[in-house]
Amino acid sequence: MKTPMESLPNNFTAVDPDYFKVKLVNWSIQSSCYLLVALLPLILRLCGLLVPWWLVIVPPILVIGIALLVLRILRRQVRALGYQERAEDLMVRSGVLWRKQLVIPYGRMQYVEVTSGPVERRYGLCKLTLNTAAGAATAVIPGLRAETGEQLRERLVAAGEANLL
Amino acid sequence: MNEWQRVHPASPFVHGWLAIVGLLWVYWQNTDELSWEDRFSGSRLTWTVAIGSAALLLVLIFYALSWYFTRYKISETHVYVNSGMIFRSQKQARIDKVQGIDIAQPLVARLLGLAELRFDVADGSASVMRLSFLRKAHAHQLRTEILALAQGEVAAPSEHAEQAEAMEPVPLMAKVPAGRLLASLLLRVPTIIGLLGALTVGIVSITGNGAFVAGLLPILLGFGGWFYKELNNSWNFSASATDTGLRISHGLADTKQQSLPAGRVQSIQVSSPAFWRLLGWYRVEVNALGVGDEEFSTLLVLPVGDFNAVTQVMGILLPDLGAENQREVLLTAITTGTAHGFINSPLRAKTLSPGAWKHQAFLATPNCVITRFGWLSRSAAFVPHNRIQGMGWQQGPWERRHDLAGVRLYSAGGTIIGYLHQLDASVASEFFAAQAQRQVER
Repeated sequence: MKTPMESLPNNFTAVDPDYFKVKLVNWSIQSSCYLLVALLPLILRLCGLLVPWWLVIVPPILVIGIALLVLRILRRQVRALGYQERAEDLMVRSGVLWRKQLVIPYGRMQYVEVTSGPVERRYGLCKLTLNTAAGAATAVIPGLRAETGEQLRERLVAAGEANLL
Repeated sequence: MNEWQRVHPASPFVHGWLAIVGLLWVYWQNTDELSWEDRFSGSRLTWTVAIGSAALLLVLIFYALSWYFTRYKISETHVYVNSGMIFRSQKQARIDKVQGIDIAQPLVARLLGLAELRFDVADGSASVMRLSFLRKAHAHQLRTEILALAQGEVAAPSEHAEQAEAMEPVPLMAKVPAGRLLASLLLRVPTIIGLLGALTVGIVSITGNGAFVAGLLPILLGFGGWFYKELNNSWNFSASATDTGLRISHGLADTKQQSLPAGRVQSIQVSSPAFWRLLGWYRVEVNALGVGDEEFSTLLVLPVGDFNAVTQVMGILLPDLGAENQREVLLTAITTGTAHGFINSPLRAKTLSPGAWKHQAFLATPNCVITRFGWLSRSAAFVPHNRIQGMGWQQGPWERRHDLAGVRLYSAGGTIIGYLHQLDASVASEFFAAQAQRQVER
């Protein structure tokens, strides 16, 4: 019997490394939105309003600082993602600072969804979501190759049916 | 039976009495500056009467149409409820799939002696089918008839069924006296904060600081609303044992009867808010499937009770904890300590949870997992292995520094989770692996 710490490094199937690019695109979109909001005082000042200098300087610096911190762990976040199909259940791990492992028995599975957003589609990736009757027990595996996701879904559905009978 | 029938003619009023109140309120707002003589004299009177009766007529027409288009039918196999004039809705429920029927009485319905039937159907549909409103006696009679049909019996003459139910002695498990309920509510932290707030507002308004009072008032109303909700939900509470599970009835303004088959219970939480522990009082809630109004809220099974009441209720909901001396295990679970094999957080968790570390513990029996957490206010969760939908192991950065980890056990039908907090990391891993095996055993 393996403890989760033992099975952490090797037994998990990692997600596609291309998922890092998806994360990167999402990160840049998000960061630019935040930056735009943070630059609002500067724009107002340029328009001639009396905005104090600290309000012009502090928000953009904060936003850029946090965005760079997030960027630093983005690759590790992708590397931390993984899943493992075991005999009776699916185990999914995620997180760098806040580590998580979720175990869902095949028999408790209600339905499996495969979705892909526009950015994910560009890199040929998809996201698999496994739902149970409990809202909190929802396993999400992002960054799968489209065909891998389909196959995994087929296997999970088959395993779920076998376990229900 | 077997033909379309209409609900009680007063039903639309019970649904829509707010419309009439709203109309009156609009009228009042617009004639605020007028005195009574002004309102009811001269040409103004004519207009008031004309517009008022027109509006009333309109509302009544809507009510009449709504009543006319709401019909129900009970056949041998199905219950049908049709409603709606423009947006028609036709609902049906297979009688052999009906798991339970609740009788609910919102305040206005209760004043008029009406009741609503809520069908709990196990066919996967999310929404509860409602049949509202019927005379209370008629509702009870229909309930017995349909439940009899659901159990595969031929529809017995209704008087007999009614009598049978009345005769059958239902052992009463727990009853909450009004005095104890009020005392228990007064000892809850939100009530105390609310009362202190009210006191502050009283003092400040005497010294005359209007703006402050105006700011605090909505918050106070919030506390008042919470208090009323709790009171309304727990008033006159009684739980009795039936052959399949529990039947609970409760309510101050809106009364409700619900039956809770033991098989529907997903997990149980026994909690003891801060001041209750001095008195040895507990409250019991369950995650249950298909019972209650909202799908994702817990169901209150015992608003307040001592240890004896808890053992009785637990004896119905989860008769076998999988331990030898159940009573002591239960007592350990809902109080504190590591007797009977409970494993608690190690001493080094003290830096992260100075108060609670000693009380955080768990016990895995062959049947269920028992977890306990909290410092001043403590809760114990009981999750049977075969009800666990998923299990999560987690470790934050500070927990990692102290070599601690936690596990959560998720079940359906509510917000109760089994919460193993800040365990020794190796103990948590061991439990995680062993539990994964246990919860897939059949």
